[in-house]
Amino acid sequence: MRELTYVEATLEALDSAMARDPSIFVVGEGIGERGGNFNTTVGLYDKYGPERLCDTPISERGFVGMCAGAAMTGTRPVVDFMFLDFILDAFGELVNQIAKMQYMSSGRLKMPILLRGAIGIGHSAATHHSGSYYPIFAHIPGFRVVVPAIPSDAKGLFATALQSDDPVLFLEHKSLLFNRGDVPEGDYAIPFGQARMAREGSDCTVVAIGSMVDKSVAVCDKLAEDGISAEVIDPRTIAPLDMATILESVSKTGRLLIVDETFQPCGVGAEIAAQVIDEGFDDLDAPIRRLNGAHVPTPYSPPLELAIVPETNDIEQSIRNLLAE
Amino acid sequence: MAYEVTMPRLGWTMEEGVFGEWLKQDGDEVKAGDLLFTVEGDKATQEVEVFESGILRLPQGAPAAGDVIPVGALLAYILQAGESMPAGGSQSPQSGGREGQASTASPSVTTEPAFQRPSATQTVAADGRGNPTISPRARRVAGELGVDWTQLTGSGRTGRIVERDVRAAAETMVEQVGVEMSPVARRMAAEAGISLEELAATKPGGRIQREDVEAAIAARRQPVLADETAVQVLPHTRIRQITAQRMSESAHTTAPVTLTTEADATELVALREQLKSSYARRGLAVPSYNDIYIKLAAAALQEHPALNSSWGDEGLILHGKIHIGFAVETERGLLAPVLRDVPTKSLRVIAAESASLIEGAQQERLGHEAMQGGTFTITNLGMYGIDAFTPIINLPQAAILGIGRIVCKPAVHEGEVVPRQMVALSLTFDHRVVDGAPAARFLNTVREYVAEPILWLTA
Repeated sequence: MRELTYVEATLEALDSAMARDPSIFVVGEGIGERGGNFNTTVGLYDKYGPERLCDTPISERGFVGMCAGAAMTGTRPVVDFMFLDFILDAFGELVNQIAKMQYMSSGRLKMPILLRGAIGIGHSAATHHSGSYYPIFAHIPGFRVVVPAIPSDAKGLFATALQSDDPVLFLEHKSLLFNRGDVPEGDYAIPFGQARMAREGSDCTVVAIGSMVDKSVAVCDKLAEDGISAEVIDPRTIAPLDMATILESVSKTGRLLIVDETFQPCGVGAEIAAQVIDEGFDDLDAPIRRLNGAHVPTPYSPPLELAIVPETNDIEQSIRNLLAE
Repeated sequence: MAYEVTMPRLGWTMEEGVFGEWLKQDGDEVKAGDLLFTVEGDKATQEVEVFESGILRLPQGAPAAGDVIPVGALLAYILQAGESMPAGGSQSPQSGGREGQASTASPSVTTEPAFQRPSATQTVAADGRGNPTISPRARRVAGELGVDWTQLTGSGRTGRIVERDVRAAAETMVEQVGVEMSPVARRMAAEAGISLEELAATKPGGRIQREDVEAAIAARRQPVLADETAVQVLPHTRIRQITAQRMSESAHTTAPVTLTTEADATELVALREQLKSSYARRGLAVPSYNDIYIKLAAAALQEHPALNSSWGDEGLILHGKIHIGFAVETERGLLAPVLRDVPTKSLRVIAAESASLIEGAQQERLGHEAMQGGTFTITNLGMYGIDAFTPIINLPQAAILGIGRIVCKPAVHEGEVVPRQMVALSLTFDHRVVDGAPAARFLNTVREYVAEPILWLTA
């Protein structure tokens, strides 16, 4: 199979959908002629023109609000935030209007808006360009929250996001954007709420999110040399969250580690742990453990940055500790 | 620890870079902030600084000018005095990303065991009741395997009993008692409080299965049954045997569905009151409610002949005549005498005939023929305060109508809530013979006839 980068994979899904559906348009800063800071729209301006690849001034609340209105009229806006951090300037529109509009209109209005942006810590992007924030959005009823980890998932989930009548947050970790992987040709869609079994094993379950998936798989492959058989599950979407797959895995292994770069308090790991205790308490052979990035603003200094993100040696130690419980 | 120098990402979209040249030589001492090497960018050559002080060591195969290197690939090490290059550093540093390099460059394959189990002398964790702590899963497995975990020593980090301890104990139990058991059998025995020795005695040398434990439990119950003196066994009467046989045949061969509805019987009650006073004055048998229901049901059956039919193996049998059976309770049991050709008979004739049939049934002098040939049955439990119920079809008929009590209750009549005499109607029909909609239409006609007797009295 041919290989594409993660960002090329989403671009392919976007291009194909825009060719079919004239109601899809993209707004954002530098997404027109420039093709996006992260190459998310390269080549689309030449194909679809300035009306459908609409460069905006730095005015997140304004253009997000306008896209909410456009979505209500039946179009499918794609808002490209470049760095997801800037979505925070539009938080009121997102939570009070976009997430609630279908409910407030008794389903008469749809909200098919796709909100995408680069998340995560890396490359000294520092404190204003390293946020992930998906636990915040997963907390709000109404949003679909997507965090693909590999190029083929990015394409299939992006296609689903472009068909969704609900608002979708499509969050792409910066350190994954230029990873290469096998990507099927042609159109395909991966449904939300279905986890991917990234690696099968029987001694413990590792739920890894976004950039932590490949790292965890690499660690577990290495641990196999010591006779440790660890299962790695990539939930792929945080909302909806595929608890059935996680619970099934825990019923097999009895041990659960959740690896997530975002902050630990009130995070995705806390939610997964609580649901496993609710539904799978009698399957647990050890306390549930979480490995998260440090609960601090992201530093600029590369050594400090490295110190606050879970790295392969942290993941390995956490798995060994869990198995010793 | 050896510090790794890697190919930096100089722009957000950069995936690989063209190596320019080393600005320091292998073995040079470098200070954090020194310029170490150059990378050819799109427009200009960029000088890259080092973040760590120490001695620069270039591994074998270190990049040379013009090499295309992936972002994150290892280029060199910064070592402290006395440190040597990590093993694997001799491999081509350009063979993979930083994570890959980090693992191949690790000192050696670890020989640490997968599980670090605490030694036996370690303090054992305990709960407030003096029991050792146990994981939820281990507790569940102990229940499944019939293992008493309170005597176990846990191998978890804090002395907690975990699944592997329970499984090991189950293995040991087999060795100690010398009894091999299936897990199900072990659990059942534990729940029933049957000792393993007791079971082993019943099957020396054999594997104890679920059946063996069940037998042991049954053997225990036996004497209890024999001691039971309050039980009395009455021989079945002929009627009870026939009823049992016919009821179970109906229940097992038909596809019964019961529909219920409620009818306004106020006018029916008025009619009956009128009949009572007029007939009694003239010395005639007063029609009972049952007689009235039989007559109106016959009228409804004329309108819906599909309900007056039977299932036959060759085909559906549509009966030309309407013979209605009605349930009569007698001392010997349930009987259902049949009123023949009901539509041809007036209410007065029906009243006289049914009175004679009921009397005959109760005095045990009703012939077999009097209970044969019905095409539909009515059963009335109203006198016992029953509303809706699910009658059993009297084979080979297709349906049976159950009548409930007439009760005065608030009902909406002509737009007002007023006290009305209401009756519940229950129709069980055989879905093999007739579908739901025709059955519902029939029951609705019955409901209308109850509400407006004039409709069938004048038919």
